[in-house]
Amino acid sequence: MVDKKQKETKAKAAPKAKEAAPVKAAAAPTAKEAAAPGKAAPKAEGPARIGVFVCHCGTNIAGVVDVKAIVEYAKTLPNVAHAEDYQYVCSTPGQKKIEDAIKEKKLTGTVVAACSPRLHEPTFRRATKEGGLNPFRFEMANIREQGTWVHMHDKEGATEKAKDTIRIAVAKASLLQDLTPKSVPVERAALVVGAGIAGMQAALDLANAGIKTYLVEKNPSIGGRMSQLDKTFPTLDCSQCILTPKMVDVGRAENIKLMTYSEVEEVEGFIGQFDVTIRKKATGVLTMEEAEAKGISGGGCNGCGDCEPVCPVIKPNPFEMGMKPRYAIYIYHPQVVPLLYTIDFDSCIKCGLCVTVCGDKKAIDLEMKDELVKVRVGTVILATGFDIFPVENKREWGYKQFDNVVTSLEFERLICASGPTGGHIIRPSDGKTPMRIGFVLCAGSRDNTGIGKPYCSRFCCMYSLKHAHQIIEKMPGAIPYLFYMDIRSFGKMYEEFYYRIQDEGAKFVRGRVANILEDPVTKNLHVYGEDTMLARPFDMELDMVVLAAAVQPAAETEKVRKLFGVSCSLDGWLLEAHPKLNPCGTTTAGVFVAGVCQGPKDIPDAVAQAEGAASAASIPIHIGKVELEPYFAQCIEENCAGCGMCVNLCPYKALSLVEKEGKRVMEVTEAKCKGCGTCGGFCPGGAIWMQHFATPQIIAQIDAFLLGGAK
Amino acid sequence: MANDYALFLGCIAPNRYPGCESAGISCSKKVGINLHPLKGASCCPAPGAFGSIDLNVFYAMAARNIVLAEKMGMDIALECNGCYKSIWEVNHKLKHNDDLRDMVNEVLKTVKDPSDPSGKSNMEFKGTIDVWHLIELYYDPKICGVEKIRDSVTRPLTGTRIGVHYGCHLLKPKKERHFGDTENPMWIEELVGALGAEPVQYRKKMQCCGAGGGVRGYDIVHALDIANEKLINLHEAKVDAVTEVCPFCQLQFDRGQIEIQEKFGKFWGLPVLHYNELLGLAQGMSPTDLALDLHAVPVDPFLKKIL
Amino acid sequence: MAAPEGWKPKILGIVCNWCSYAGADLAGSARTQYPPDVRIVRIMCTGRLDPLFIMKAFADGADGVLVSGCHFGDCHYLEGNLKAAKRMFLLKSVLKDLGIEDKRLRMTFVSASEGAKWAKVVEDVVKTVNGLGPSPLSQNAR
Repeated sequence: MVDKKQKETKAKAAPKAKEAAPVKAAAAPTAKEAAAPGKAAPKAEGPARIGVFVCHCGTNIAGVVDVKAIVEYAKTLPNVAHAEDYQYVCSTPGQKKIEDAIKEKKLTGTVVAACSPRLHEPTFRRATKEGGLNPFRFEMANIREQGTWVHMHDKEGATEKAKDTIRIAVAKASLLQDLTPKSVPVERAALVVGAGIAGMQAALDLANAGIKTYLVEKNPSIGGRMSQLDKTFPTLDCSQCILTPKMVDVGRAENIKLMTYSEVEEVEGFIGQFDVTIRKKATGVLTMEEAEAKGISGGGCNGCGDCEPVCPVIKPNPFEMGMKPRYAIYIYHPQVVPLLYTIDFDSCIKCGLCVTVCGDKKAIDLEMKDELVKVRVGTVILATGFDIFPVENKREWGYKQFDNVVTSLEFERLICASGPTGGHIIRPSDGKTPMRIGFVLCAGSRDNTGIGKPYCSRFCCMYSLKHAHQIIEKMPGAIPYLFYMDIRSFGKMYEEFYYRIQDEGAKFVRGRVANILEDPVTKNLHVYGEDTMLARPFDMELDMVVLAAAVQPAAETEKVRKLFGVSCSLDGWLLEAHPKLNPCGTTTAGVFVAGVCQGPKDIPDAVAQAEGAASAASIPIHIGKVELEPYFAQCIEENCAGCGMCVNLCPYKALSLVEKEGKRVMEVTEAKCKGCGTCGGFCPGGAIWMQHFATPQIIAQIDAFLLGGAK
Repeated sequence: MANDYALFLGCIAPNRYPGCESAGISCSKKVGINLHPLKGASCCPAPGAFGSIDLNVFYAMAARNIVLAEKMGMDIALECNGCYKSIWEVNHKLKHNDDLRDMVNEVLKTVKDPSDPSGKSNMEFKGTIDVWHLIELYYDPKICGVEKIRDSVTRPLTGTRIGVHYGCHLLKPKKERHFGDTENPMWIEELVGALGAEPVQYRKKMQCCGAGGGVRGYDIVHALDIANEKLINLHEAKVDAVTEVCPFCQLQFDRGQIEIQEKFGKFWGLPVLHYNELLGLAQGMSPTDLALDLHAVPVDPFLKKIL
Repeated sequence: MAAPEGWKPKILGIVCNWCSYAGADLAGSARTQYPPDVRIVRIMCTGRLDPLFIMKAFADGADGVLVSGCHFGDCHYLEGNLKAAKRMFLLKSVLKDLGIEDKRLRMTFVSASEGAKWAKVVEDVVKTVNGLGPSPLSQNAR
C-alpha cells in the first residue's frame, strides 16, 4: 500500500538502530557502524536480554489480573530472558530480585510491571543500578493506575491490557541505552514570592539556614492578611502582636533581601538556576540607604508622616477594606515593614506639596521609575495567599446593595482597635451600635450553583466563632446569631473553643440563609432561611449581617504560576506534587508552595507548610548540585541538512547551527535543553535523537502494541 | 414569518380568565405580534402535578404540544409561567439530550400527526422551534420593546399603583433560564410603567404565590397561607392591584382571596389582573371584552380609577 | 464497516508526562472506571509528537489514536502542545486522503488534576471507534 512505502522511505532516514518492522525481527537488530557520538545514531548493540518483574502489589494488581498468566506470557516475548512475579517489587526483597536477576541472567535491561513510573521509576532505576546496569535501562509498565485500578470489573480486559503494556515496555527496554544524568550547580540563593505569614516564615527559615533569600511582595508592606486581623482563634492572641516581631525579624535579617512593592515579571531557567526578573515598582520615596547612596546625608524616608496631611488626593485604603481613606502618599498603617511611604502614581497629581514639606530629608522623588532587577536563585517558594470571593455575586445576600451587610474581613477591620472605627462595631447606615448581628457561614463556599466555590474555605467557621466571642465581650447585650451548615472546628483546641462560644451565649441556627432583604426605612435586615433542626422557616430581623465569605487564590496567582510553570488543581488553588506525600512541592522541580495559595488553611498549618517548603527548598541548595534527567536532544550529524528550522522551534533557545568540518549542522546546548522533544517531533530528516524517547524506541513501542500480540 | 407565533393557551386562561386570551391576541396584534391558534393543544402539562407523578408522561405530553407547532413552522408564544416551565424546559431538554429525545419519540410514534390529512404519519419531535413567554416578547426591543408598548397605549392607567408578582417558573431555576437577576428584577415593572401606571415595590415581592408544585391541590390551607403573606405585604404597600404573568398565580390570588375569607376570615379585596388584561385596558379594550366580570374579586375599584 | 465477531478496537494513546499521564494516574487513584481498549505510550511532551508515529500506528492497523496533552498555556515546556496541535491539524487532512475517517484521530487536553475528565475522554474515544468499526487499514477490515 502506498502509505507503507512512504513510511519505509522515511524510516531509512531515521537512525538505523532498528528497522521499523515487526518486533519479531528484533532477535538480531541490524547493528550499524559505530561512530563518534553525535555524528551518527547511537551504536546498536548485541541481542537484548530483558528481565520482566510483575508486581502483585498485594491485591491491587493480583486481585484483578491473572499475574501468573502474565508472567508466562512475558516469557514468550522476544528478548525476554527472565520473568517472575512478586508480592511487592518495590520492597527490599523485591528490589533484590531485580539486582540478582540482572547479575545471574546477564540482563541488558529491566521492566517492572506495577504502579505508575511517576511513583516508582526512581526506585527501580536505583535497583537496576545496584544490579550493575545503567539506571536508564529500565522501563516501567503501568498496570495499576492505568490498569487494574480502572478496569476492576473487566478482569479479562485488564489482563489483556497488562500483557500489551508489558510487551510495549519490553520493546522499548530492548533499545534503551546507557545515559548519564547531568549535574548542574545550584545557586546558593532562594526566592520567596509573597510576604504573608507563610512567605515570611519560609524566608526566615531559609535565611537562618544561611541561604540568601529574595522576598518579593506586591504590596508596600509585608504581613499579608494576618496583619489585617484583630485576634486569632482559638487563643485570641492579638494578631499584630504575634506578627510584628516576625515582620521586624524579616526586615532585619541579613540574609533576606526584602523587595516590597515588587512583582515577578519574567522567569527563565530551571532548578539550580532560575533567572528571575523582578519589577521593583516606583514608590517615589527613597529609603535611607538610597538617599545616602545619592549623597543626601541624613536623608531618606524615616516614616515621620509629615507628607500625608498635605496631600490633596484621597483614595480608599485597601488595607482597611476601603473603609478608611488614604492619601496618594501613604503607608497602610503605622507598623508597616519596611517603614517607608509609598506614592500611588496612578492617583498622584504631582503637586509637589509633599516634596516641600519633606524638606531636607529629600526623600521624595516624583520622577522615580520602575526598576527591573535580575536575580539568579536555586529554588523558589510561592506563597501568594488569597483574596475574598466577590460575594456580591451571590445577590441573595445583598452585599454591596444593603449598607449593613458586610464581609468578615470588613468586620475584622471594624473590630480592630487600629481600624477605621477604633474597634467599635457600628452600622454603616447610621453609625449606631448593632445589637443583633447575624453571621452567614459558607457565604459562597460549598456552592454548586456555579456562582460560588464548591470547596469549603476551612477557616470561616472558626473566625465566625471568634467574631461571636468578640461581640459578646465588647458589646454587652449584643447577641450574635450564627447561621451555619456545619461547624468545622477541626484543629487543636478548636472544638473546645466552640463549646466556649456556645456557653458564652452565641445563638446558632442550622440552616443556610436563603435571602436577605432590607427594610427601606430602618435599614435593618430581614434574614430568611430554614431552621433545619426545628424544621420550620425563620424570618429574623437583624441590625447587621456579616458574610463569612469564601476565599479564592489572590488575583496575581494566575500570572505568577504560569511564569513558574506550576499547575493548579480543579478548584483553582496551586497544585501540590502529591496531596499526601509531597504537599509542599510542585511537579516543577525546584518550585515549592506554602500557605493558602495551595489551599485554604489556618495560620498554624500555613506556618507548618512554610517551614516544610523552606526545608525542601534548602536541600538542593545545601547539596550544591542537582541531577537532571538526561532526556536531551542530540543531533545526528550525518542526517542533518543544516536547515535550521528546529532552532526556531526550541522554546529554550537550546539549539544553534554550527560549522563542523565544512558542513553546517545543528548543535544542542545541553545546559538549556529540557528534553521536551519539540525539535525531535519536527525534524523531517530524522536527524534528531531524543535520548530515552528516541524515534526508534517509540516506533518499537507502537509496533509492539499493534503488530506483536496474541496469535 | 417574523413576529408570527403559535399561541399556546394553556388551561386556566381560556377556562377561567378568557380576557387573558382575548387581550393577548388583539393587544399583540397592535404591537406587531401575530398570534395564531395552536390547534389540538392539550394541557401543557401542569409541571407540579404531572412532573411530580410521572416525568415520562410530562415529557411526552409537552413534546406533543411542541410538535404541533413544529408542524405549523412557528415558534410558540405563551402567557403562563407554568406552561413556560413545561413547554420551554422540555423543548430545551429534548434538543440537548439524545436519550431523552429518543424515549419521547418512541411514545410519539404511536400518536397520529393531526396535520397530515392522510392520517398515515405519526408525530416526531424534531427540535425546530423555540418557545417564548409573551411578556418577554413584549420586553424584547427586537420584537416589540417597552417604547412600542407605551406608544400603543390609548387609555393610560394614570394614578394607579400596581404591585408586580413575577412568579417562580419564569425566572427559575436560574441555571436553566436566561432572564438574569432572580433576586430583584425590574423589567416587568418597566412594562407596567409603560402603561402609565406606577409600579410599586413591596416586601418579599419574589415570594411564590403558593399554588404551584401541586401544593394548591394537595394542601390548600398551606397554599393559602403563603398567598396570604403576599397579600399582607401588597396591602402594606397600598397598591390598587397586583399584576402577574401567570393565570395560575392569578387563580391563586383571585379565587384565593375568597378562600382566605372562608378559611381565615379576612377579605382583602385586592383586584388581580394579568398583564395581558392590563395591556388590554390600556389599549382601550372594554371590561366586557376582557371578561373582567368573571374575576372572583371585583375589579371595579381599579376600573373606577382608570375609566 | 462490519466488524468481525468479538472484535475489540486497538486504540493507541500518546500522552504527555506532566499533565495527561498524571491525570490518567489520578483517575486510577480515584478508581474511576473506564474501558480497557487504549494502550498508552508516554512521551515527555506532546511537542515530541512526530506525525510519523501516528502514520505508523494507522499503518500497523490501529483503529484509533488518541493524543492528550496539557491545556494551552499550561504546557510544562511552554508551547509544545501548541506545536502538536498544529501538526495534528495538518495530519488530519493527510489521513483523510488516505481514507482514514477523521474521528479516528483525536487530540484532547487533560490536566494533572482532571482524572474524571481522562476517564470520560477514554470512554468517548472507545465509543466513537466502536461506532466506526475496524480501521480500513487493519487486517480486520478485509
